[in-house]
Amino acid sequence: MTVSARRAEALGARLPPLQVAAERVAATVAQGVHGRRRVGQGDSFWQYRPFLAGDDAARIDWRQSARTDRHYVRETEWEAAQTVCLWRDGSASMRWRSRAAPVEKIARAELLLLALASLLLRGGERVRLIGGAPRSLSGRVGLDRLADQLARLPESGGMPPEAPVPRHARVVLIGDLLAPLDEIQRTVARLAAVPASGHLLQVLDPAEALLPYQGRVRFEGLEREADTLIPRVEGVRDAYAARLAAQQKGLAAIATAAGWGFAVHHTDHAPEAALLGLYTALAPQGGRR
Amino acid sequence: MIFATPWVLLALAALPLLWWLLRITPPSPHTVAFPAIRLLFGLTAPEETPARTPWWLLALRMLAAALVIVGLARPVLDAGASLAGGGPLVLVVDDGWAAAPDWSRRMAAASGVLDRAERAGRDVALLTTAPSEADAASPVASVAMPVAELRPRLSALRPKPWPVDRTAAAAALRPWAGRGGAAYVADGLAGPGWDSFAAALAAIGPVTVLRDEVPPARLLLPPRAEVDRLVARLQQAPRPLPETVAVLAQSGDARTLARVEATIPAGTGTVELPILLPPELRNRLSRLVVEGPPSAGGVVLLDERWRRRPVGLLAGDAVAAAIPLSGMLYYLRRALDPYVELRVGDLASLLSREISVLILADHVVAAGPEAAMLANWVEKGGLLLRFAGPRVAQGRASDMAEQPDALLPVTLLAGDRQLGGAMSWSQPAGLDDFPPNSPFAGLKVPAEVRVTRQVLAQPDAHLAAATWARLADGTPLVTQATRGLGRVVLFHTTANADWSDLALSGLFVDMLRRLVALSAGISGITEADGTRLAPVETLDGFGVAGPPQAAAAALTAGEIATAAASPRHPPGLYGPESGRRTLNLGTRHPPLVAAPPVPGAREEPVAGAAPERLLAPWLLAAALALLAIDLLLSLRLRGLFRARAGAGAAVLLLAVALPAQAQTLLPSPPPPNPALVTQLAYVVTGDAQVDGIVRAGLLGLSDYVNRRTNAALGEPAPVTPGETDLSFYPLLYWPIVPGSPKLSGAAVTALNAFMAHGGIILIDTRNGGSGEGFNAGSEAALAQLAQNLAVPPLAPLTPQHVLARSFYLLHDFPGRFDGDDVWVQRAQDRTNDSVSPVIIGGHDWAAAWAIDAQGRNPYATLPGGARQRTLAYRFGVNLVMYALTGNYKGDQVHIPAILERLGQ
Repeated sequence: MTVSARRAEALGARLPPLQVAAERVAATVAQGVHGRRRVGQGDSFWQYRPFLAGDDAARIDWRQSARTDRHYVRETEWEAAQTVCLWRDGSASMRWRSRAAPVEKIARAELLLLALASLLLRGGERVRLIGGAPRSLSGRVGLDRLADQLARLPESGGMPPEAPVPRHARVVLIGDLLAPLDEIQRTVARLAAVPASGHLLQVLDPAEALLPYQGRVRFEGLEREADTLIPRVEGVRDAYAARLAAQQKGLAAIATAAGWGFAVHHTDHAPEAALLGLYTALAPQGGRR
Repeated sequence: MIFATPWVLLALAALPLLWWLLRITPPSPHTVAFPAIRLLFGLTAPEETPARTPWWLLALRMLAAALVIVGLARPVLDAGASLAGGGPLVLVVDDGWAAAPDWSRRMAAASGVLDRAERAGRDVALLTTAPSEADAASPVASVAMPVAELRPRLSALRPKPWPVDRTAAAAALRPWAGRGGAAYVADGLAGPGWDSFAAALAAIGPVTVLRDEVPPARLLLPPRAEVDRLVARLQQAPRPLPETVAVLAQSGDARTLARVEATIPAGTGTVELPILLPPELRNRLSRLVVEGPPSAGGVVLLDERWRRRPVGLLAGDAVAAAIPLSGMLYYLRRALDPYVELRVGDLASLLSREISVLILADHVVAAGPEAAMLANWVEKGGLLLRFAGPRVAQGRASDMAEQPDALLPVTLLAGDRQLGGAMSWSQPAGLDDFPPNSPFAGLKVPAEVRVTRQVLAQPDAHLAAATWARLADGTPLVTQATRGLGRVVLFHTTANADWSDLALSGLFVDMLRRLVALSAGISGITEADGTRLAPVETLDGFGVAGPPQAAAAALTAGEIATAAASPRHPPGLYGPESGRRTLNLGTRHPPLVAAPPVPGAREEPVAGAAPERLLAPWLLAAALALLAIDLLLSLRLRGLFRARAGAGAAVLLLAVALPAQAQTLLPSPPPPNPALVTQLAYVVTGDAQVDGIVRAGLLGLSDYVNRRTNAALGEPAPVTPGETDLSFYPLLYWPIVPGSPKLSGAAVTALNAFMAHGGIILIDTRNGGSGEGFNAGSEAALAQLAQNLAVPPLAPLTPQHVLARSFYLLHDFPGRFDGDDVWVQRAQDRTNDSVSPVIIGGHDWAAAWAIDAQGRNPYATLPGGARQRTLAYRFGVNLVMYALTGNYKGDQVHIPAILERLGQ
């Protein structure tokens, strides 16, 4: 599955930069993940096996059988396509970065979303963008379309819209998740009632995690909140950290209650780690399948 | 230091209030956008210490505010005391010659007075005490006007080369009596009318007088011509300390020929400085100048009166007189010729021209018109010098007894006296020492001089007084008598060696020179002439000669000798070149006397201290700078201004402040080293088309030369004479473009040096043989451009010339055109190894050589043909070879002769 340099060049000519980055991130993660190696319904070739009595004669692969004296049946890999609904927070608060962060939070969220979609599509799953077209996408072309839909997505609020989600689909919500907990609780509960299982990923800027300011600072919100004047920021840093920890603890509790996963990602960390976490969280658990 | 508006300083009292205000106002917070603001709502720090402005920022702001306040109070450094009185102020400035030596100090002092009047808000009227030069009008005070309008008038003032007119100034001051105050920048000299002037000044109101302790003016009086020296006379107001002064004697080209020093004793006004110069140098003097600050009073112009003394020679027997070693005039000529202008002729022709001394050697003056003419000349100042001799002695003996010769200083006894000889007991007599009243006094009498014969004077009571030299036995040898303005001198012996050895000794030369120097000069003789002499050059107040002012009027020679300097008659040169007269300031100047103090006036030195300096601009600028720093610091405290941006701003400030240095730091591309490759060069004309053709032509030629010969030429180089170093290029192609600007001095120098050191310039007028259709006007342009070039004499280029044989054998030298001559240095000139430094032609060779990018020849030859172009290229090859090898091929020219010689 290695994307050769030549292929990457061809891709780069066609794909927007974000998608290229997503492909690259996905490629590094795909090295360590293995798919379902089982015979079943699907399009991909899996193996030839000798024709056995009871097999349908129509399943004989005549091209292969003509090379030898025996008859062979062509078997395909088992493909159980599952729909994964993806969403990232597109609100104004995501379009922000501090000086310590390399990218805005929304850029990191979209990168992760696309990279995850790329991995899933390679694995044969179907993906859908919550808020995008109400159709699931599959195949290599799916990533292009997903990226296209992502780019056209209007600026939305802090929580996913009430779009229809297929039953038993998996849901991945990526955002800063700084909204009040009960709001998040309502959304997760609604999705879990479909039923759908899923994963919450909180993307935070390092400044949001650490509050690294000093002195007398007037803070202004990005989504028309009132501003607040902190006379000495260093004095409230611990209180802020406590509040953030409480928020994350609440998020974890909501996720656990719904049977979902929850993870936190800082934009100054490498996206690969977060992607690997997401992917393994979505991968079939032993015994569950 | 004073403050012009001191009440502003009251605002300093508000500074503590400002301090308090600044102190309780916390600094503006940073503003930070923060998405997780919801988590911050309601958070309070455990301890709330109020944010304070840092003390150093506070101090910075307080300092800036204090600077602004002090600056607005307009402090003035080195300010003079305020002027007494109120109302309009009369500023009286002495601008006669006496103010010139320290004129700039006086102007600074007057300007300081204006500063003070401006601060006090007083209008000022200006009165200059010397008559104005434009209309020679008496001094008139201007109307009182604001200081700003008066300043240009003050700065336009220049010292005048004549004295101040105190009487007229006093009259101009009288209407101002009691109206305000006065400030007087004085030259410190009293002069006529001082009392009324001082009274009028004091009547105005409070007076401030700016003057020095002693007046610095020094006046050089016309020198006195003495026998062997010129005595310069210097006058000044008596000073309390002895001072050393120096006078420079300068020639017409302003070179100093002599410098004499003298010490003026304390309390004395006049000193005499004898200038001892050989007559030949003394005759070249044109002015005497007091060393030190220039002024018209320190300059005396010398004219013919102090210089030329033509001497006429006349002998009784004109034919015998010229015989070497025995003639009457031979020794006179030898003695006088080096020093004076000698004229020989008959009496009428000698007296028809200006003449200072007339020497009659053994010439009997016949009664009648000749004697009358001579007597008249002597009466008007001529010096008649007569030598005795056989004719004079005989003349006395024969017919003159009843008609005494009026032109002899003493009555002569008949006959002569012989001393020594075969029939006499007496010995030839030596000379006695010269009496002190004699002009010969001080001359050393050589012991070997012996007088063997002389004529004798009839003894009378006046003989001793009339005698300037006598023999050891007391008989007069030289006698003299004055006749009117002139003088008659008689040597009682001959001017040759017949009667005495005197003519053989050096003493004779010295005596003659003293006598000539004694003469009044030619001026005294021709003064009766009534011709009016127009001013030619006049001095300004600093003693610098210039064209005469409009008001200067012509004078007769007699008036010039006695005229006082005034606007109508400024000191300077008058009259035509042949009879130039000088009018000097010192001729009729009243003696210099220091002025007594003006009654009731406050006195200040002229140059008290440094001029006033306004501090306000500097203080306000410093405050602005501090506020700018404060702005940067505030921005930084609010987090809007990062360290990196600060560095950027600092760099930007530096870049703005040091634009010149910044530009010099820009690296310029290194020029290709012309020393590494041989290049043809062409002079950039500025006409892009011509330069393009020439460049293409030299490219084509270089290419042709590289293909056909062993020479390896690089790309042709454009050069600008005077800017480019020409020493690397063997050949310079110079197309002449009509209307080119004149060559600069540096360009001429560079081209001449190029030619002198072996370079060759090919000058192409680009019209030769074209039938005037091309490049009209280039001949005139060439004539103009080559004006200062050291172009040697030229001759047409012939097939025998080295240039026609240096590579190809050529008979004609076509370029784009054909048929005109090409000019090179004449073959006779051996400079530069016979290599012609310049080749001038008009065949537009560059156009014939030119190739374009495809290697084709873009310019057709006229009349045309491939042959002409080939010949053009061959001429080019010959040219390059000539430039590179010089006359190496010159032997080729002589091969027929060498072969012929070898054959023999």
